[in-house]
Amino acid sequence: MSIATEWFKHKKWKPFAFQKATWKAITEGKSGLLNSPTGSGKTFAIWFGVLESYYRQFGKKKKPKDSGLHCLWITPLRALSKEILLSTQQVSKDLELNYKIALRTGDTSSAERAKQRKKSPHALITTPESIHVLLASKEYDKFFAGLEFIIVDEWHELMGSKRGVQVELAISRLKALNPDLKIWAISATIGNLEEAKHILLGNKSENSVTIKTALEKKIIIETLYPDIVQKYSWVGHLGIQLLPKIIPIIEASNTTLVFVNVRSQAEIWYQRLLDEAPHLAGLVALHHGSLADTTRKWVEDNLHNGRLKAVICTSSLDLGVDFHSVDSVIQIGSPKGIARFMQRAGRSGHHPGAVSKIYFVPTNSLEIIEGSAIRYAIQENLLESRIPYVRSFDVLVQYMVTLAVSDGFRAESLFEEVKNTHCFKSITWEEFTWCLDFITTGGNSLKAYDEYHKVVLMDGLYKVTSRTIAQRHRLGIGTIVSDSMMHVKFMGGKKIGLVEENFIARLKPGDVFWFGGKNLELKLVRDMEVRVKLSNKKSGKVPAWLGGRLPLSYQLSSSIRKQLDDYKTGNIHYEELKQLAPLLELQNKVSHLPDKNELLIEQIKTREGYHLFVYPFEGRFVHEGMGSLLAYRIGLLEPFTFSIAMNDYGFELLSDKKIDVDLITDNNLFSSEYMHDDVLRSMNSIELANRKFRDIATIAGLIFTGYPGHQKKTRHLQASSQLFFKVFEDHEKNNLLLRQSYAEILDFQLEITRMQAAFDRISKQKIVFTYPEKPTPFSFPILVDTLREKFSNESLQTRIDKILNSVQK
Amino acid sequence: MKKPYEEIKLRGESFFLLPQRAMYRPSRKQLIISDIHLGKAAHFRKQGIAFPAQSHLKDIDKLNFLLAAWQPHSVLILGDLFHSSYNKEWLWFKSLLMEYEPVQFILIEGNHDILDQTLYSLPNLLKVKVLEEDHFIFSHHPLAKSDKLNICGHVHPGLQLFGTAKQSIRLPCFYLGKVHFILPAFGNLTGLHILEREDNADYYLIVEDKVVKL
Repeated sequence: MSIATEWFKHKKWKPFAFQKATWKAITEGKSGLLNSPTGSGKTFAIWFGVLESYYRQFGKKKKPKDSGLHCLWITPLRALSKEILLSTQQVSKDLELNYKIALRTGDTSSAERAKQRKKSPHALITTPESIHVLLASKEYDKFFAGLEFIIVDEWHELMGSKRGVQVELAISRLKALNPDLKIWAISATIGNLEEAKHILLGNKSENSVTIKTALEKKIIIETLYPDIVQKYSWVGHLGIQLLPKIIPIIEASNTTLVFVNVRSQAEIWYQRLLDEAPHLAGLVALHHGSLADTTRKWVEDNLHNGRLKAVICTSSLDLGVDFHSVDSVIQIGSPKGIARFMQRAGRSGHHPGAVSKIYFVPTNSLEIIEGSAIRYAIQENLLESRIPYVRSFDVLVQYMVTLAVSDGFRAESLFEEVKNTHCFKSITWEEFTWCLDFITTGGNSLKAYDEYHKVVLMDGLYKVTSRTIAQRHRLGIGTIVSDSMMHVKFMGGKKIGLVEENFIARLKPGDVFWFGGKNLELKLVRDMEVRVKLSNKKSGKVPAWLGGRLPLSYQLSSSIRKQLDDYKTGNIHYEELKQLAPLLELQNKVSHLPDKNELLIEQIKTREGYHLFVYPFEGRFVHEGMGSLLAYRIGLLEPFTFSIAMNDYGFELLSDKKIDVDLITDNNLFSSEYMHDDVLRSMNSIELANRKFRDIATIAGLIFTGYPGHQKKTRHLQASSQLFFKVFEDHEKNNLLLRQSYAEILDFQLEITRMQAAFDRISKQKIVFTYPEKPTPFSFPILVDTLREKFSNESLQTRIDKILNSVQK
Repeated sequence: MKKPYEEIKLRGESFFLLPQRAMYRPSRKQLIISDIHLGKAAHFRKQGIAFPAQSHLKDIDKLNFLLAAWQPHSVLILGDLFHSSYNKEWLWFKSLLMEYEPVQFILIEGNHDILDQTLYSLPNLLKVKVLEEDHFIFSHHPLAKSDKLNICGHVHPGLQLFGTAKQSIRLPCFYLGKVHFILPAFGNLTGLHILEREDNADYYLIVEDKVVKL
């Protein structure tokens, strides 16, 4: 009898077909991908395959033999690793197996680590970062010598980030150590599932399998409408007016997860919910990425126990273990993507056959359209793809030093291994040599004066010889770069969480702000710590965390365009569109409502200047790129200075001079010809690249973020990424890291392929110009947006003169 | 044509503000600069952090240019001449000093100037804590109290300006308040500290190759 059948019998459960298929494939020695949502029994599907393989080799009844590490299980989240540890350990316990499982994350104590090194467990549940830390320790090849399996859990999550590149690189090394390694990915459904498999498995894709669970969960969507759509706000992303409508839902449900898009919004919703429904005090909690680990853990534990009625959360609860008591989910504001919306919906209703119920709360009236767009997209099975990072030289440079810290590497063999990953399949020997130079001589050096010291080449082996450099490198392993944050603590030292430095800089001692669901009075700021005490004073100040402004996905934005066209042509299928009719009619009356063959451009004059609004409905990133491109091209014809604002539906060029519309139509300004070059030339790309460069510089080890626990930063080793960027621009134009920052903004920030498609579409559309007297339902939300990019081709002197003039007036 | 510098009066005496982030004092034929942070690139490189090695050549070139153009009798450096502990970039400065032997260099000690004392003992280099002269007191840090005008560095002052159409721009500047006159950082590898605008202060912005009073 197989181990799996024995255990299922023991549990009186019946395995699913997909579980059996997975065991079979694994025991046949195949690699593959398991496509399965959370909570479907995917862990066991893989796990019994691993156990079965092990015991076929080593026999079950024998004394526990020191067979070394057999399986590596990689997850993106520490919370998930814990869950997997518990369920796999339970199997060993139930069946009295000698197969030992342990956890290895950033939290693992050094004593525990030492123990693991001395006598390795059979399986390690770990994170991408921790594997690289293992690769940075001496004689790691012995530690991994007996490895048979690598399981990468939630691969779809990792793949779209540089952590995915870390996984690819680690696997390339482990494959070289163990050519028979079997690799399995576990992934939720995404648009490019097969590609995801190929990226992880590489040359193991041949003969591999893809197994899908047939379990389709039914999702019921309900949009909450304002009583009178015409009176609902045209702008905003908060949606607090609809708060009274969600209280009955929370009351009627067992447990509700309320998802918002950004952390500050979570804080505000939590505060207002308690104001509005004081009887829920103690039954509602707050969960977001800036809160202290202990706070988040407390919330998660109480979700498990079913002790909470509702949790206001951000994407911090998108992933992770299932909470069985959750039976309804509320999404406040645009979900930005279809997969994300479905994932959140899937957090409710966990028992087999259960239905996932999700409420959509639009935060401004136009956003109602996203309700019908989501319905349409789900019906048509439109799902986003995850775009993998390629040519991430920052991660490669870090990885090279990692190997140099442990046992050293040889250039030719490492080149072959790296070239076999998806990320670096196009790397040339010249580029590889550049990376070698970067770590050994620090790039272009001045021979006589130079004292660069990092990696040294000895007898063909690249090694780190300095202990300080090795120690500093180990601390810097990883690709998650956090913003400059300050710890918020009570006077007694208890941690509350992290807020951005900029926010604290604007407060004085005695000021009160709202954070972590509490009113806090600022007492003092010391080094990177903020000490606070509880306060009774009310305050409206809520920290704003940067980031979190995701763009609307390609699939969701095209669904929105479809909805608009459907409305225009009288093809109304969903309730949301009917509700929205008064607003769309108003837009049509004061300006125009475009169908799928039209691009709408509105020109409006206000006290601020001349506004040009363009509505491609392509998501804010593409709009940002399009805006600066258009500004650049107009600038080629006439000197202009613009500021650019955008949202997910359109963008605005604001200038102090009038833009002649003939300028746009006569000069074919929306042409996709030379788009690539024009985007890079627009000043915006330099500013964006400069910002991107911060992450790249940190990952590549240019910026040292300090030793943990040491508040004092390393003396005289602080330099901002902007400074590096500027100096590289001046002295080292061919620096691969600098070039990478431009490539990354094209791929991820400006979504260049998506932009190309948008330009192609627009080139076939008719441009409709209108000149409304007042802001329209489409333009108003963009008009009031305060985050702006700027573009200018006027000389610096002219700009200064203009600014000085307006300042002095 | 406009002069490539801005002439101002401090306590009745004439000074030229140069767009190279430096100041010239005609009465004493003196060049005044602050916060070069020489040796920063090499300091980082020694620790395995790859600033381009020639980053500071710009600073040396700029200093060379100013020495040739203004032919000063002396150069007053208001601190943070060298970024950290000794590295070979110090030799660049040393050879510059030898080249301009007749010019007296005076360094006011800054918080970064931590080199071994013996290194500073060069024939035409004088190191002091503060310097009081005429109506002025020269220091690195802005002094808390002073009856005379305190000419200093350390701050790396800059301003962020906002215009119509929600534009903004950040520029280095000279700051003139009631008690303090602060120079912008001379070095190429230095950051900007954005000042809060004060009503009673004057700001002289460095706009490419000009100095512009706000």
